Amino acid sequence: MNEIINAFFEAIHLLVTLDPEVIEITLRTLYISITSTVIAALIAVPLGGYIHFRKFRGKRTIINIIQTLYSMPTVLVGLLVFLLISNRGPLGNLELLFTPGGMILGQTILVLPIIAGFTILALSGVKEEIRDLALSLGASEIQAIQTIMHEAKYALLGAIILGFGRAISEVGVAMMIGGNIRGSTRVITTTMSLETSKGNVELSIALGIILLMIALLINLVLNHVQER
Amino acid sequence: MNLLEIQNISKQYEGKKILEDINLYLEKGSTLGLIGPTGCGKTTLLRIIDLIETPSSGKIIFNGQEIPKTKKERIDIRRKIGMVFQKPIVFKGTVYDNICYGLKIRGEDKDSYQDKIKYLLDALGLFDYEYRDASTLSGGETQRMALARALVTDPELLLLDEPTANLDPQSTEKIENFMEQLRDERETTVIIATHNLIQGQHLSDEIAILNKKIFQIGKPEDVFRKPKSRFVAEFVGVRNVKKGSSRRVEEGLALIDVGAINVYSSAALEGDVYMSIRPEDITISQSKVETSALNEFEGEIKEIKDSGGILDLKIDVGEVFSVYMTRKSFADMGLTIGSKVWLQFKASAVNVFEV
Repeated sequence: MNEIINAFFEAIHLLVTLDPEVIEITLRTLYISITSTVIAALIAVPLGGYIHFRKFRGKRTIINIIQTLYSMPTVLVGLLVFLLISNRGPLGNLELLFTPGGMILGQTILVLPIIAGFTILALSGVKEEIRDLALSLGASEIQAIQTIMHEAKYALLGAIILGFGRAISEVGVAMMIGGNIRGSTRVITTTMSLETSKGNVELSIALGIILLMIALLINLVLNHVQER
Repeated sequence: MNLLEIQNISKQYEGKKILEDINLYLEKGSTLGLIGPTGCGKTTLLRIIDLIETPSSGKIIFNGQEIPKTKKERIDIRRKIGMVFQKPIVFKGTVYDNICYGLKIRGEDKDSYQDKIKYLLDALGLFDYEYRDASTLSGGETQRMALARALVTDPELLLLDEPTANLDPQSTEKIENFMEQLRDERETTVIIATHNLIQGQHLSDEIAILNKKIFQIGKPEDVFRKPKSRFVAEFVGVRNVKKGSSRRVEEGLALIDVGAINVYSSAALEGDVYMSIRPEDITISQSKVETSALNEFEGEIKEIKDSGGILDLKIDVGEVFSVYMTRKSFADMGLTIGSKVWLQFKASAVNVFEV
């Protein structure tokens, strides 16, 4: 028990003294997760919008598939991206394996369905009459879609934040694609996994606290946004 | 000049007929009341006129020009039409944001509309509401705001779909007063769809009775006094509708055989007809009287209903007629159920319409 308490104080020490390794890992984690969330959002929000606003055969099926992919195992995405970007894979010559770029690709794929799915949900939350109202007041189709997006903006932001939450907390893709290389691809989750198995729990606890703080911050922002 | 011409508009949806062969002509500055029961196609017709929906067949001519097919040109026309929906609905933001929506999407400068916005809010009883969160307004306030939102861009044609359905009496009155003013200014052409006959009659120059197709169109008093079909008669609450067979007996006079009795009418229609007589046009006496009324029948009081001071008597003269009478004359005459009475009404008070 004492050991745990000591480790906890040691972790606080690492945080308070802004330990360079802790800072470096945290910044890299944020960089990779934010970049993949932004890329995923740029694809998934328009995609979700397209699926929502268009009527086509198999729409329900596509939405079901997207929803199923919410709980896609991270190691499965890791495997998929590994096969894609390994030397013998179709994207092998991009040399993305064991680089932050590869990790961004993997996390983008991981969070795409979440953002797309919740975009569809956010847009369905806007009353159908809003479109008619916009048109009746002289909006073009495009302006009506912009208006609906605007009405759903807080819910859309919620979808993106949810995607970010999944990206930053996952370990499968980061480990399999990044390889946990010190000074290059090491992120919070992979470091915690490795350091804990080595018995170096102080660093793990310190990083765990940071991860929790980020989760708390996300939750606060999400709550604030949804209250609006 | 006609601002709007609707020619042979029909609409089917999933094989179901919603509108059949609608023809309407609206003079610039006039107000048309589109009246019909719930589900009669009012909303669909307004949506077609507002170019939100397309008809299955027929054409619309706006300002002498047939509605074009291209999206761009359709928007240009849609921007000259304003609509207020039955269900009060708002965009996120303030009342001011909502009212400015139409200006914003047209790329107009909001600042040059400040006086107009103030005027509309005042006229609709929403003084000082600009910076309220629109989602906190009551249904009545929302609907008044919706009217301001539709009018700020000065539409040539204003469509109102049951604008006061389910509203508090105060908001209804404010909207009606405003609509009266708008009608009297004769600058905006208005179509107001309502199931409320009194409102439709009160606010419109002409009314059209709609139930999938237009049954009758004309000045309110004509439609109410002289319904041309059984549907209109029943819808506008005409009583004493009887079916019979009419034949001319002399110049300007016909006799209608409705079974147990024969009724004189000054209408020219012959053959199978419906006739109606307004309960207030029938007089009652205790004995046969010398009168100019050609129709006089003896009968018996079967039922007495009190409808707010006026008594509604059902009198059986072979056919049952509904007759209105004040409580005072009822008491003076000492009538009761089973009393024998005579009914009189003029041939010219009998309204006749086709089967």
